Amino acid sequence: MPPRIRLCPRALRVRKSQPPTPITRSYASLATATTPAPPINQTNQFVPQIQRYPPTQPPSHKPPETRKTQLHRQYQSLLRSSPLILLFQHNNILAVEWMSIRRELTAALRKVDAELAQNGQPSLADNIRLQVIQTGIFASALRVVEFFDPVKGTIAEQAEKEEERFTHGVSRRAHEIASNRKLKSGLEPLLSGPLAVVSFPTVSPQHLKAVLSILSPSPEFPAPKRKVNPDYHSLEVQGGLQKLMLLGARVEGKVFDMEGTKWVGSIEGGIDGLRAQLVHMLQGIGGSLASALEGASRSLYFTVESRRMDMEDKEKGDKKGE
Amino acid sequence: MITRFLTDIRVQFNPFSPSSKSARLFLSLLPPNARADGMKIESKMLPRNSKEPARLGIKFKDGKELNLEVDKMRITEVTEQVDRHSRILARQEELAGN
Repeated sequence: MPPRIRLCPRALRVRKSQPPTPITRSYASLATATTPAPPINQTNQFVPQIQRYPPTQPPSHKPPETRKTQLHRQYQSLLRSSPLILLFQHNNILAVEWMSIRRELTAALRKVDAELAQNGQPSLADNIRLQVIQTGIFASALRVVEFFDPVKGTIAEQAEKEEERFTHGVSRRAHEIASNRKLKSGLEPLLSGPLAVVSFPTVSPQHLKAVLSILSPSPEFPAPKRKVNPDYHSLEVQGGLQKLMLLGARVEGKVFDMEGTKWVGSIEGGIDGLRAQLVHMLQGIGGSLASALEGASRSLYFTVESRRMDMEDKEKGDKKGE
Repeated sequence: MITRFLTDIRVQFNPFSPSSKSARLFLSLLPPNARADGMKIESKMLPRNSKEPARLGIKFKDGKELNLEVDKMRITEVTEQVDRHSRILARQEELAGN
């Protein structure tokens, strides 16, 4: 029987040909995915670090199999992938009411999509979703998305420190950076109480307008008339909407209140409309510049001309006077 | 919180102020069928830069009015205040034998 601790200090000095490792009996069920450590007589060479986790599952700060961690990851991906997010507070909305509100919302968005499809724009209706969120986890995920930059400082710090740096959002490093309470995203006061979000894959004012007119009707965004859409005025939808309050929005990382959200929704014709406005404005500037330059000479002409008329009148007057 | 004896609720708050938290939580404590059962609920949202404090006005079934400065109170204190009168009404109702 070989000794349990195979110490052979001579091997550290003189490299001898490596003897074949003795075959030890082991059960397949006990085999682990980790690479076994090399025999001790090889440790004078460079040994790659032992990876103790599969490459697709880097270790996370909190236990990865829990619902909390998965929701955290999911909210991070939601925040990263949707530039426009509306925040609502929901006060005890029943399941039936949620169902009917969602139905009305999809119907309205489909209608907008059908209009925009004529101009060849892609449809967004299926990707705009109203979902209830876990407020605390969402707040934490928002902090990670705002303040944790996975690329920044990784290479420099990695060179200094031996330990590996993880770049995923649920890592310990992300948690430490995001738990700095001095950093403020501006959305913190909104993130309390029961919340629901509407997330948009792109900033599309037309779709935002449809969502606002369904979920928080106002004079600027009137709700559909009873004749046009009788379902919208059913008891379930109206009962649910009374309990849904628009708090604010996060548009491309910036925080907007109710008025700001309405302003974004009131942009006519979306991004194309804005471009048309800009072109129109630039044309206007050209015209006004030309008239301004022309103005000086024209006014001089008018002055001289009026002076001439004046003198002519005087001459006539003098002649008549004689 | 006992909400059976509330008939009229007026809330105003600025969602962007941290002190409006209890006003918002109060709204979330009302039962889902409150409006259908005839409770009048008016909530007014202030714009982001307004400095007006959060306010809560409540009317009870017997006509008593309660105005609370919810910006200085925690939600437990608010429910305590509301329940204090609601319990009196509950006891009266019980003694009347209904």
